[in-house]
Amino acid sequence: MTIDYQGEHLFPGQLGQFFIVLAFGSALFSAISYYFATTNTNKLDTSWLYMGRIGYFLNTVSVIGIGSCLFYIIYSNLFEYHYAWEHSSRTLPVYYIISSFWEGQEGSFWLWGFWQAVLGNILIWRAKSWEKPVLTVIALSQVLLSSMLLGVEIFGSRIGSSPFILLRQAMEAPIFSRPEYLSYVKDGNGLNPLLQNYWMVIHPPTLFLGFASMIVPFAYAVAGLWQKRYKEWVQPALSYALFAVMILGTGVIMGSLWAYESLNFGGYWAWDPVENAALIPWLTLIGAVHVMIVYKNTGHSYFTATFLTLISFVLVLYASFLTRSGILGETSVHAFTDLGMFWHLVVDVVVFAVIAIGLLIIRWKELPFSKKEEETYSREFWMFVGAVFMALSCLQLVVVTSIPVWNAMFKTSIAPPTNPVTLYNVFQAGFAVVVTLLTGVTQFLKYKKTDVTRFFISTLLYVVCAALITGIVVYLTGVYKLKFVFILVMLGAIYSILVNGKVLADAFKGKIKLAGSAVAHIGFGLIMVGALISAGTSSVVSQNTSGMDYGAEFDKANSSRENVMLYKNVPIKMGDYSVTYVGDSIAAPNHYFKVDYKLLDANGNIKEEFILKPNSQYNNKMGLVSSPDTKHYIFHDLYTHISMAPLNVMQAGMDLGHDAEVNDDDNYNAPTIHDIAVGDTVPYRDGYIILEKLNKTVHVQNIPIGANDAAVGADLKIVSHGITYEAEPVYMVKNGSEFDFARKVDDAGLKLRFTKIIPAQNKFEIMVYDQPEGKRPYIVMRAINFPFINFLWSGTVIMIIGFLLSIFRRNKELKTV
Amino acid sequence: MKKSSIFGIVTIAIAIAIIICTYGSASTYGTFKDAANNSGELHIIGHIDKQKEVVYNAIKDANYFSFYMRDTIGNERKVVYNSTKPEDFDMADKIVLVGKMDKGEFHASSILMKCPSKYKQDKLDVKADAKKASI
Repeated sequence: MTIDYQGEHLFPGQLGQFFIVLAFGSALFSAISYYFATTNTNKLDTSWLYMGRIGYFLNTVSVIGIGSCLFYIIYSNLFEYHYAWEHSSRTLPVYYIISSFWEGQEGSFWLWGFWQAVLGNILIWRAKSWEKPVLTVIALSQVLLSSMLLGVEIFGSRIGSSPFILLRQAMEAPIFSRPEYLSYVKDGNGLNPLLQNYWMVIHPPTLFLGFASMIVPFAYAVAGLWQKRYKEWVQPALSYALFAVMILGTGVIMGSLWAYESLNFGGYWAWDPVENAALIPWLTLIGAVHVMIVYKNTGHSYFTATFLTLISFVLVLYASFLTRSGILGETSVHAFTDLGMFWHLVVDVVVFAVIAIGLLIIRWKELPFSKKEEETYSREFWMFVGAVFMALSCLQLVVVTSIPVWNAMFKTSIAPPTNPVTLYNVFQAGFAVVVTLLTGVTQFLKYKKTDVTRFFISTLLYVVCAALITGIVVYLTGVYKLKFVFILVMLGAIYSILVNGKVLADAFKGKIKLAGSAVAHIGFGLIMVGALISAGTSSVVSQNTSGMDYGAEFDKANSSRENVMLYKNVPIKMGDYSVTYVGDSIAAPNHYFKVDYKLLDANGNIKEEFILKPNSQYNNKMGLVSSPDTKHYIFHDLYTHISMAPLNVMQAGMDLGHDAEVNDDDNYNAPTIHDIAVGDTVPYRDGYIILEKLNKTVHVQNIPIGANDAAVGADLKIVSHGITYEAEPVYMVKNGSEFDFARKVDDAGLKLRFTKIIPAQNKFEIMVYDQPEGKRPYIVMRAINFPFINFLWSGTVIMIIGFLLSIFRRNKELKTV
Repeated sequence: MKKSSIFGIVTIAIAIAIIICTYGSASTYGTFKDAANNSGELHIIGHIDKQKEVVYNAIKDANYFSFYMRDTIGNERKVVYNSTKPEDFDMADKIVLVGKMDKGEFHASSILMKCPSKYKQDKLDVKADAKKASI
């Protein structure tokens, strides 16, 4: 039975699907051709090479074609396609359409494939004698990536998941039996509000460029083993490895900036499996970069350099398995759920792991292990030690993050640690101590052999200086309240900054080519210092108990009672601040809560005042979704987010003109009635009300006042918590009947009526309705102080600059050698 | 003994220590019964009992949230969480608690929501749409 569906645009999807198949086919063709080009013994026969190139170019064109079709579908709101319906909506601005493009797994696979295509083309252009073996590996990876998008049924099981699946193919519903079903699909699901952030436009492309570029050093290492060019591969691979480390590192930090700016967990790093997944390959590749330099300079550590390079890319694939297969299940909030590609992703990891391990075993006997041992006082030995510690820190992350994998493999049911943050912090800090100290110590060592006395003198001198500075820093910032290992990290980081600062100073005096590593190490040291102080001594300003016991909190990530409730316009003392929820502003779909902070000095004078606007939006799929707002200072940040807001406040903001007048009195306590004269004062729960004067010329809109009618307004001044409001309820006699027009002061939670004039006593009856606590607008929020967080961000920028300098240096060497 | 062998042994020792520590610090998935017999924190998977009352009253206490959950073997306990009601609690179906028993109540230090709709295709929504369309 076929139904003639109306209004569907099938062409872009069919074209896109064609490009997917073409991308897969051409990558396969290219990989096979490059393989034969590599193994071909006839040097003059270039036909395989050309075929490989043609295949690769064709693949690049197809990948761009897939992206264009998908973008067209999302951009044109073609909701007959599941991907557009799932991830986009009509109201989404163009720059967020870009983020919705890679919200789904298919889009992010495409992004990865796109970068890999770009890198492959750069290598075709630049790799020269390495092109054939290196491109064989990259084209093979491209085959596997394209297969993730295929979405074709083979032998009853679906291979890959295509972004061009139609809505009616993706799900079952009775509506799809109607030919005109599309006219009911008015809008898409829209983009997850948390992803509607500018970082989400640039963070995924950066991260995936990082992941994609990890294949280049891997491909060179494989090529080196395959072609038995054991010594040569390091030289060209080094720049690419540095590039990969730089980009992946930037991507990871961008992710944490995004978390800091738009997530509610109150921080920038939570050791979530998804974060770990990106950090794992970074750690091994940064280790690999160091031993590659060792090998290049001394011939030592060949095996470590090759192994770490190879394992880094395998770990990239493993990380993508972790986050995309759904295996993390109960342990991560972020991970994607299973798209039915579990075994496909496993195959991807296994293929490349087998290539790496297989080649190492086959070539084992020929590998250039150094006969002579490294000297104890040599740079190469301690760089090697540092790299191994990087790998160990990575191992710890892998072992703990993979607990669900162990459960699946060994049929156990171990739960992750109850307090993973503490576990990771302590472990990783231990490794960080060793690594940061080594980034300093190795600067005093030379390759091959070092003068021992001089080494000890300069090392000690700097250790003493660093210890003094650490003492001061630790005391002033309060880091001394933390576990001892964190103080050691501080010492290591400061030591590294000092020593590398000296190296940098020398570099300016002439050894300019050493600047890259010094700058990168200083950046890394600053990151450690910033992370330690800001995460270790962050204090919850909104905590009900005002004790400054933040040491315990860093150790125990989940402390409670951190939220504070604020009634509108009722100031609350929070730390050094007086904080007031003063109002709302709405820019659909976001509801901004204006929170006024006043910093008071000892005499109660305002030293500083500012307003933060944390926002929330109500999402049908996810409930209330909130994003924080942060006041940035040079030396600290004040972070504020809404934990909860009553829905009626949100709705009052959202649909104005709601039938609120019906039984309005229900929203208030029973009124109190006061007979007062002009100038009298009436107290009420949150302040007092003064009858200032009577206004006899009052006009109530649309009601004409006749000759026998009278209308009088009561000018009332309301003072509540230091804020003054005005209101003018009106009493009216019209055609012999009495009326009155109540006036509300929402911000003070009041409704006021002027109900009677008592001429005999010259008094006036005022009815005061105040809102019970529950009906008054309020918010529940949490505020956290992050000291010295800017060290973290500036350290990142400095580290990136260091990487760039190193890349330039290594590229220059490449040209001269 | 060669220096590199010593270093190799140290490395392996640290690697083993990592694995043992991981196993040692790992928690277990359990039930309320296990939690009652255990002083430490553990993980409990279960379903929220939506029939019973869910208490969160910011006016009374912004840091008190309680509800009832049924664990995998069908026992039901009151759960107390000293923070705000999680934003996506109402959408959640299955949840994972970390915490411990205290006087017959389970005190959670963290709640992880498994929302059927969060990152998955939202089939329910479409059906609702479809129903609306056919009316």
